[in-house]
Amino acid sequence: MGQPNRYNSLCMFTNHFRLIIHVYALNSNLATPSHRYMKILATEKDRASSLCTYTEASDGHSTGIVDMKERKTTSTINRILINCAAQAKEYGGCVAAKVPEVERDMCLKEFLALKSCMQNVWKLYLIKWNFLYLEIAVGSMQRRRLKEMSGKASSSQSTVGLNGSGALSHVYIKYPPLKCCIPGSRGLFYDDGNKLLLSPTLDQVFSWKTAPFAPNVTPTCDSISEGPILSIRYSLDGKMIAIQRSTSEIQFWHRESGETFTQSCRSESESILGFFWTDSPLCDIVIIKTSGLDLLSYKSESKSLQLVDTRRLNVSWYIYTHESRLVLLASGMQCKTFNGFQLSSAGIIRLPKFEMAMAKSEANNKPVLAAEDVFIVTVYGRIYCLQVDRVAMLLHLYRFYRDAVVQQGALPIYSNKVGISVVDNVLLVHQVDAKVVILYDLFADSRAPISAPLPLLLRRFPRSNSSGFRAHREDSESSEAHVVNDNEINIYGDEWTFLVPDLICDVATQFLWKIHLDLEAISASSSDVPSVLEFLQRRKLDVSKAKQLSLSIACTAILEHRPVSMVARAIDVLVTSYSHSHSIKTGNHLKGTKSEKISPSAVPHATDPRSSADVSASRVEALGKSIRHESTAGVRGLPNKTLTFSTSDSEESTSPDSVRANLNDLHSVDGKGDRGKSAEPSGVDQLEPGNNPLNASASELQESQLTSPAVSPDEMYTFVFSPAEEEMVGDPSYLVAIMVEFLRSANLEKVKVHPNLYVLTLQLLARGERYAEIGLFALNKILEPSKEVAMQLLESGRQNSQTRKLGLDMLRQLSLHHDYVLLLVQEGYYLEALRYVRKHKVYTVRPSLFLEAAFASNDWQHLAAVLRFFTDFLPGFRNTSDHTTYYRILNEMNSSIAASSF
Amino acid sequence: MGLSSTATTIVEGIQFCVFDLRRGQHEGQELDKILFFFPADLPFSTQLSVIGLSEGLITFTRIFSPDAACEVIEAERHCHVFYEAEPDIWMVMIVEKNKEPEAIWRTDALRKVLKEVHFLFVMFHGSMRVLLDKEPGGGLARSHLYPFIMDYLSDFLVGKKLMLPSFRDCLKERGTVQMLTVGREAAIEVQSLVRVIESCAGIIPCYSLILFQDLLVSTTLSPDDTVNLFTYAVLRLTPNALSSGASSWSYLRKGTASHVATASILAQSGTVAEQFYGPGETSPVGDNGYHVIRPLHHDKWSRGRDGFLVTDIWGVEPGTWIPATPTVLLHQTGEKMYLCAHQHKSLTMIFLLPVSSILNGEQGVSTVKQQVVENAALKMLKVEEKLSKGWGGENAYHVSGYRYLLVDGDRNISRASPPGKVATLYKESLLSLNKLREEVDLDKSRARGDNDEHEKELEVSIRAKNNAWVIVRITRGKELYLVLEKANETLLYASDAVEKFSNSLVSAWEATSFDVTLIVKIFLVVSGYDQFVVVDLIMGDLIDDIKRCSGGGDDNIALGKLKTAH
Repeated sequence: MGQPNRYNSLCMFTNHFRLIIHVYALNSNLATPSHRYMKILATEKDRASSLCTYTEASDGHSTGIVDMKERKTTSTINRILINCAAQAKEYGGCVAAKVPEVERDMCLKEFLALKSCMQNVWKLYLIKWNFLYLEIAVGSMQRRRLKEMSGKASSSQSTVGLNGSGALSHVYIKYPPLKCCIPGSRGLFYDDGNKLLLSPTLDQVFSWKTAPFAPNVTPTCDSISEGPILSIRYSLDGKMIAIQRSTSEIQFWHRESGETFTQSCRSESESILGFFWTDSPLCDIVIIKTSGLDLLSYKSESKSLQLVDTRRLNVSWYIYTHESRLVLLASGMQCKTFNGFQLSSAGIIRLPKFEMAMAKSEANNKPVLAAEDVFIVTVYGRIYCLQVDRVAMLLHLYRFYRDAVVQQGALPIYSNKVGISVVDNVLLVHQVDAKVVILYDLFADSRAPISAPLPLLLRRFPRSNSSGFRAHREDSESSEAHVVNDNEINIYGDEWTFLVPDLICDVATQFLWKIHLDLEAISASSSDVPSVLEFLQRRKLDVSKAKQLSLSIACTAILEHRPVSMVARAIDVLVTSYSHSHSIKTGNHLKGTKSEKISPSAVPHATDPRSSADVSASRVEALGKSIRHESTAGVRGLPNKTLTFSTSDSEESTSPDSVRANLNDLHSVDGKGDRGKSAEPSGVDQLEPGNNPLNASASELQESQLTSPAVSPDEMYTFVFSPAEEEMVGDPSYLVAIMVEFLRSANLEKVKVHPNLYVLTLQLLARGERYAEIGLFALNKILEPSKEVAMQLLESGRQNSQTRKLGLDMLRQLSLHHDYVLLLVQEGYYLEALRYVRKHKVYTVRPSLFLEAAFASNDWQHLAAVLRFFTDFLPGFRNTSDHTTYYRILNEMNSSIAASSF
Repeated sequence: MGLSSTATTIVEGIQFCVFDLRRGQHEGQELDKILFFFPADLPFSTQLSVIGLSEGLITFTRIFSPDAACEVIEAERHCHVFYEAEPDIWMVMIVEKNKEPEAIWRTDALRKVLKEVHFLFVMFHGSMRVLLDKEPGGGLARSHLYPFIMDYLSDFLVGKKLMLPSFRDCLKERGTVQMLTVGREAAIEVQSLVRVIESCAGIIPCYSLILFQDLLVSTTLSPDDTVNLFTYAVLRLTPNALSSGASSWSYLRKGTASHVATASILAQSGTVAEQFYGPGETSPVGDNGYHVIRPLHHDKWSRGRDGFLVTDIWGVEPGTWIPATPTVLLHQTGEKMYLCAHQHKSLTMIFLLPVSSILNGEQGVSTVKQQVVENAALKMLKVEEKLSKGWGGENAYHVSGYRYLLVDGDRNISRASPPGKVATLYKESLLSLNKLREEVDLDKSRARGDNDEHEKELEVSIRAKNNAWVIVRITRGKELYLVLEKANETLLYASDAVEKFSNSLVSAWEATSFDVTLIVKIFLVVSGYDQFVVVDLIMGDLIDDIKRCSGGGDDNIALGKLKTAH
């Protein structure tokens, strides 16, 4: 195959210098994997790098460190490496052994062993680890992207690899953040009911809308009275502000009138733990007190709260997310006994009481569960509770059902501090101490992470497109200083707070970040096409991106001639996903994509892409174009893999400012087409997922053209089969096999397939002169009869009369009388055609055609028959010129025959 | 030659010979012409006189028709059916016309037998001409032909008689394939299986043929090769063929007779034959001069443990006990292919691999086999299950009230009423149909002779002596033969019944539908089964094409109902 050596890079960043270990594994596809190299690259700040090469013979005997440019710091590295040689070797060996089939989180165990070894050694030298990550860098997407960028990247390969923004990751936050610095701020509060970030000052409260997330959103301001603020929340209709002033008092503000009133409790026996607004029909606000819940409703007439219901319980602390409408109340000595209430619009559901599992470290030491260690997570509409068990270093997973709470396994954690986010139904477990994040897709029963632990990436975007690359270069060179000096962006700093569901608030800098998934990187990290597609098809946020990736992955798999069984499974995934989404959805989306297509050049002029259907069509078209380019590039790019691998993401970071109109993604998708030719960096923004308007609007605006990444059969044809057919050289039987699998899958899911696909199948079969199979396909209705198919059969039947007949038969079965009669006449079967005309009353074919055919046969009897037929059955035929002409001809023929017979 | 008299009485009335006109042109060398003669123990003088007569007829008719000499000669007591298998190599079958009621043949059916044996011979041994050229003495060809044709004929033995296709078999068509009707879903599964098999061979081009019971499910071969392989598979490879002796409903086998017994009968007549045709006498090198493969030898195939069918017909690998993989020649490309057959329950899967593409011979074949077992086993299971679920048994294609035969000449496909149902017909009905088919055959061969590319449409309905309707409809390469015994008096009724049948058939066999409706049809219905006149009038009185057979019979003509469409 000539595939490039796949390699893995293991990068470790310290405060003072960073170290990259590239684990090269010679492609073990080769019969004799001779040597495995471990290349260690170390740099200190902006100084020249030192390099040592660690060579390991394939039999596992270490031959030691070969080459080293001496520097003080590298001797430290060296020592670490020698100390951890066994682990490094193990990890390298594991990676090398599995390289052709790279899976997500492969060799995780070995990696963690190596990591902890290195960490321990490092600690001896009193050097604090800041950053550590691993990337298993395999995957066609990545390679393709790499290829596209190789031109530029090669120039800056050494530096880019060391650049913070150039590191590989699956999750990123994007510069600029939402800056919520207000002078005199007295802390930041997050109101998850309204998705507002609140920053109260002495007498004012500033609020920023976080959904849709826009970094330059201007805060709104309300005046409040002075006083301590324990928590603050806006009512769900936005008319009221509630501020908890103390453990016994909550103050309410009417925003318009400025009227206030307070609600307090008996401070001696109970204290207020918190409160939240609810959209439950029973009440408007719920106050959690140590003695239980108070459910209150607001009476606008009396401007006061009225107690509706109380639930008496002992409460140590509580957690609530508006997303789940679920409040969990902790009680007991260890705070591990929980009562739960869900205050949904349907009413109040009380969950059964349950206990969380806590491992004991020692017999007498009972850990107490803290509120920070329990998270409510909403994934795929299911509500889970995650609980950190610090002793066991596990994250226990509980799923809430209406009448039960079921523990569903546990996830390992590698850090004492853990943050939880949910982005697009993907669970992100931030291992804060290790500064990595692990992704889980809870949809599948498997609790295996989606990919290897990787750091969170900060993407910086230069202001303009044209100067993007230059800016990036400068940035990368100076970034070292930038990252270190600039305290404001301290990834996984101590001050980070993880907000529900996908926001990070850096309290120190008062920056608010939104977490994004890099679908491209995730899908590139696995070679298991079906499972990657399953993952992509479940994405709801960045739908167009997921869809585009799905299509291109499918197309690439075909072009790479992956085994039919594997491609078949991938196709199954796509078709199943489509049929499911299709059965739920209204026809809205489909109509949109099927409507008339305007040329991509017209797209930028469209004014409102969200509402107009034709733009969605063009988007699809533009999308397809880009995929086509991508796939071509991918094929060519395969053998040309170099060290520049890790640059691909830094290239991506040259994307333009995320703050853009919705039209942006249309522009950028378009730009991609140009880039295919010129390799200009202008179109890179297309790879940047955050641009999509749906990202922000998905939660608020349910109505949008693209609601699901599901791929319709039409799109399968346009973006997968048709390009694959164009690219494919040689024997078409592979593609036919894939098409058969697609048809099988579509048939099982009862998905209707566009005739184009059948036509393509026919073309492929005819190209291979496989007429026997064409016959079987047509007879067994594997190719569903349609006019297009019939016409293609006729076309393919030019060389094969049986196939042509199949086409004719199909026309007749479809009752396409006009075409059938026309073809019969053209083939000289004019008498048969006439019978058919009579039987089915098809009078749309011109009589002259029949007459000409009969005349050409030089049989006067036939000609007379045809003439008589029309005279008898076609009213007014007698007066046409055809009649007179042929009547005369017939008479001449008759007389000549009569003459000759005498 | 003392045994000759007893031998001829055993297989009476039938002679079968193959001879080459280019050989034995000189006085005294006439024996050289004979490549095969059955019964072999006839005195050479008799053999030569039979062949001499045939040769004379051929030479004579060639004067008038150089391209297509005579097809059949009807003598008073015999009927000679000719088939020119290869240029100047003729196969002739002589059947005796005796007073026996069963001795009524359709010559085209007999010719199809000759054709079939020749096609099968070529598939396994290559053309006779090549064999003759290889060894001009003719021993090679004779030693191949003799066992091959004898093995083939043994399939026709019922008891002590050779039962050649008679009028009772006129609702059958030799040389066609019977297909299983499958639903779309199953068809896609089958195709998916076909692709998997293909992919197992990698870059090597690979053909496949899939049968369910004795019915074809899928093929990637050309129509001719499909027919040949299908025929062979049904004769020797399908589960029914493997458990030989069990009753079968396929027309290719008479079924009830035990092959062991029948073979011995033929062998009895063959003892003398060995002297001339067998390898023993004419071979210059002695008994083992030719290693003659007998692909049609009975009871030689068996199902191996891995599901692959094995046979030692093709000998064993040198130095081992592993049976050699059979090879066949493709009719279309002339390519030599390895034949591998895999069987799972009722599903038989045959795949062909080109000998030239597989470099390391048997080892390469077994690699592919291994691949197939690994990759396709699950799919095969699934397909078998799906097909057996959808299969209606041997009477699946029975349409009650009708006895039919449907032939798609373009694709060499036919479908017929199950033999058990056909057997319930009156003899008169079958005889009428037989006669009608003879006429149609004649008409077709006439059209072939005219090189008329224009396919005719034809519809004939006749009333037999027993008041049964016998109907033929021919539309664009498709033929439908129908017998309606319980039909009403009127032609209108019969015509409606045909229409109904055509429509019901559309669902059963999708691609075939008959919508021949003559604008004006006048049927002249004849009461005598062997005399009929068809007047096919299109457009009133403008075109009349009157076919007259068997001497007018004016008295018997009765005017049937006049049916005017619309």
